[in-house]
Amino acid sequence: MGLLQELIFGLVTGSYIAIAAIGFTLIYGIVNMINFAYGEYLTLGAFIGFLAANALPGPLPVAVIAAMIGGGITSIILARGFFTPINQTGPVPMLLTSIGLGIALRNAIRLVGGRSARYIETETSTFRFDAIPEIPVGSVDLLGGFFITSEHIIVIASAVIVFAAVHLLLTRTDVGIAMRAMGDDESLARVRGIDTQLIRDSVWVLAGVLAGLAGVLMAIQTNVSADTGYSHILQILSAAILGGAGSPYGAIIGAYVIGLVLAVSTAFLPSSMTGLSSAMAFVILIAVLLVKPSGIAGSEVREA
Amino acid sequence: MNVRDRLPSGHGDRALIAGVVCILVGALFALTPLRVQLPSAFYVFVEVGILFVIYGMLVLGLDLQYGHTGLVNFGHVVFFAVGAYATAMLSAQDSFAGIALAYPWPLGLVAGVIAAAILGAAVSLTSIRLRGDFLAIVTLATAEIFHSLFVNFEDIFGGNVGILGVPRPIAAVVSDGDTRLAATLLVLGGITLLTLAAVTRLTDAPYGRVLRAIRADELVTRSVGKSTITYKTQSFVYGAALAGLAGGLFALYNGAVAPGFFTIQVTVTVWIGMLLGGAANHRAVLAGLAIIMGLRLISRFALDVTPVSSDVFASMRLIVVGLILVAVIRYRPAGIWGDPQELGVDQ
Amino acid sequence: MSLLAAEGLVKEFGGLRAIDQLSVSIEEGELVGVMGPNGAGKSTFFNCVSGVIPPDDGTVTLEGTDVTSDSPESLAHRGLVRTFQDTRELETMTVRDNVRLAAPDQPGERTLPALLRSSSMREREETVRKRADELIEMFDLDHLADEYSSNLSGGQRKLLELARTLMLDPDVLLLDEPFAGVNPTLTREIADHIRNLNADGMTVVIIEHELETLTELVDRLIVLQQGRLLVEGEPEVVLEDERVIEAYLGGDSK
Repeated sequence: MGLLQELIFGLVTGSYIAIAAIGFTLIYGIVNMINFAYGEYLTLGAFIGFLAANALPGPLPVAVIAAMIGGGITSIILARGFFTPINQTGPVPMLLTSIGLGIALRNAIRLVGGRSARYIETETSTFRFDAIPEIPVGSVDLLGGFFITSEHIIVIASAVIVFAAVHLLLTRTDVGIAMRAMGDDESLARVRGIDTQLIRDSVWVLAGVLAGLAGVLMAIQTNVSADTGYSHILQILSAAILGGAGSPYGAIIGAYVIGLVLAVSTAFLPSSMTGLSSAMAFVILIAVLLVKPSGIAGSEVREA
Repeated sequence: MNVRDRLPSGHGDRALIAGVVCILVGALFALTPLRVQLPSAFYVFVEVGILFVIYGMLVLGLDLQYGHTGLVNFGHVVFFAVGAYATAMLSAQDSFAGIALAYPWPLGLVAGVIAAAILGAAVSLTSIRLRGDFLAIVTLATAEIFHSLFVNFEDIFGGNVGILGVPRPIAAVVSDGDTRLAATLLVLGGITLLTLAAVTRLTDAPYGRVLRAIRADELVTRSVGKSTITYKTQSFVYGAALAGLAGGLFALYNGAVAPGFFTIQVTVTVWIGMLLGGAANHRAVLAGLAIIMGLRLISRFALDVTPVSSDVFASMRLIVVGLILVAVIRYRPAGIWGDPQELGVDQ
Repeated sequence: MSLLAAEGLVKEFGGLRAIDQLSVSIEEGELVGVMGPNGAGKSTFFNCVSGVIPPDDGTVTLEGTDVTSDSPESLAHRGLVRTFQDTRELETMTVRDNVRLAAPDQPGERTLPALLRSSSMREREETVRKRADELIEMFDLDHLADEYSSNLSGGQRKLLELARTLMLDPDVLLLDEPFAGVNPTLTREIADHIRNLNADGMTVVIIEHELETLTELVDRLIVLQQGRLLVEGEPEVVLEDERVIEAYLGGDSK
């Protein structure tokens, strides 16, 4: 396969990682925690979408909306049950709690949903572009013919819509502006009369909606299993940190960097080692934390 | 913990003596015709017991890092794994896949400890300044990277099969199964007790005072003239080296290593054991680990009498494990035996 | 040659100059007060001098040696020790351990002597214990020696912090608001301790808002404003200075 094809795949991967990473980074910036259970929110969204697609007669968008609503509700319930009560204990206990919650959720999903992968039936059209020269360099074709499916287009278009919606939310609505203020300086926000708990709850709902969407897009694109979200959590986290933890715009850039690196490393690695491409995301993560811990646009995470 | 004010440490010395005795008795079984017979219902206890003493070294090292120094290492399994793989690859006679160099096993064990320590030094040199939750992420990511290296580089690490044909020094001299299990438990348990003695001495000494001061307030500790980076690095490397030792011993007991033995579950188990028992208290973390591994034992028995598949049962056990972690942090942040004021969680 | 000298120190935070071309020198054996309105750069000055924050520009010399941007730990070894404005106790440690920690040259702080419980470690620990108990008693904390320092009152924390720094036997002591939140009795007590230390030859620099206590105590006052040196000199003279009166009364209008 040519590099151009891998880039398409990278763009698709980057798109759903970006949607999830926005939610993840908003939680980091406003609740001040790394939510390691976030991958499970994606899985839940994917399963809700799968069930909705099978149970409801409606078209695919109905399943997508069901996943988003389900994700938002799940997120706020889990936050109220597990994270809000320990908000004051600091980042490490909250991270550990999310790790514990993640293990419990993942296995609960496995218990209910079983181990096998499920597929959401969609009608797919494929658009082929074969007439492009390959320009081989070694074993890799620099261009080459490629195809793009309607699913790819749905994922990328959804991401673009999400970016626009989140941008409008953060810049044009009171809640969004309050979110940004809180991300910058929580005590200052409180002094200004912002109801910080309300904003935190809104962020949980928003993050859950985004997770539900990302999850169901993954499900449409590939499949649903108990590990759907967990297998992406480190990529989401890498994207968020790469973009500067707490910055939604940075997270978008970070996500596409991760997506493209994964795709390109798949192209260049020998086929027996494609499993390594996911490790590449972590290598990038570590490299970023070492070289510029504040990411592309974000705050310092080192201690004095 | 005013016991620390008395310098000669009671617990540490008792652990030292008990450790030496255990190893000697274990050696007695191994090297003389002396035999034991275990009731067959006992096997499972001994097997879990062996795993417990190996994980005991992990939890003691982790507690040195987190409980005493405040370093959040959530990739502890990687040091365990690196120690195990280094030992296995150097000492394996011949393996189905991967490297098998057939050197004498003591050399392999030493190499395992050194390899884990070097990785620990590399991680701490690069990341020790990161804020707690980010250090957790870097260590966790390191563990994931190594896991995928082990799986993907079949020619070196044997892929999913791992490294086979690792010598089993105790099995080599004791042919009788019961005696072999007993001797293994005694020798490994003795080594864990020696580890306990060593870390107790370290933390009872002024050395431990510096570590706890770093956990409390690093800047203050620096401003009274302590080079905190040096101490943090040492604490991290010692914890990693102990995990490497545990890994090497595991390889030499198990006779094989494979990625399946070194999943994030290991990290989670020792973390929960430490938090449940009470961080910064060596005996408490071992007790906490015993509780969590006891749960594993119970679930093994329960599995025999309940009509569900082992998959279902594994999921249920992990749900419980995850919720225990959540509950401990929320309702008992200092663990069962930890001191809330010493851990700064009494507000 | 001054014992401690800052030359042209500059430190910016997000474009704002917290200190701006600040030059100050402290002679051996002096007892100096640093005052100034909020945001004048007093704590930043301490932070730059004590190695907590490296200055953007300028030099710091201690006994003629350039120590600019040296780490806090190496400055402590050179005999310069500080306290913090918001008392920073090691809250999860006992009062006694707080003080003992600060003792220099402890063999037991190295791995091997600690593991082997060497005689050098035990001997040193014995002298550390004696010295720590002396200091704890001197500051009337002996009844609290085994308490966690999180249980101490604000004033007791100030005393503990002082005891902890004295464990290092410093040549230069930088005290950041030692009287803040302390009741009048304890204030007098702390002032007496400081005076005694100075009489024994220790050089002391104090940041303080409590002007009455400060002016009674010190030989020389340094007034900072907007990160610059405004006036320095004998307390009586400085307090009469019009610029100082204006800076304090004018407050925010500046």
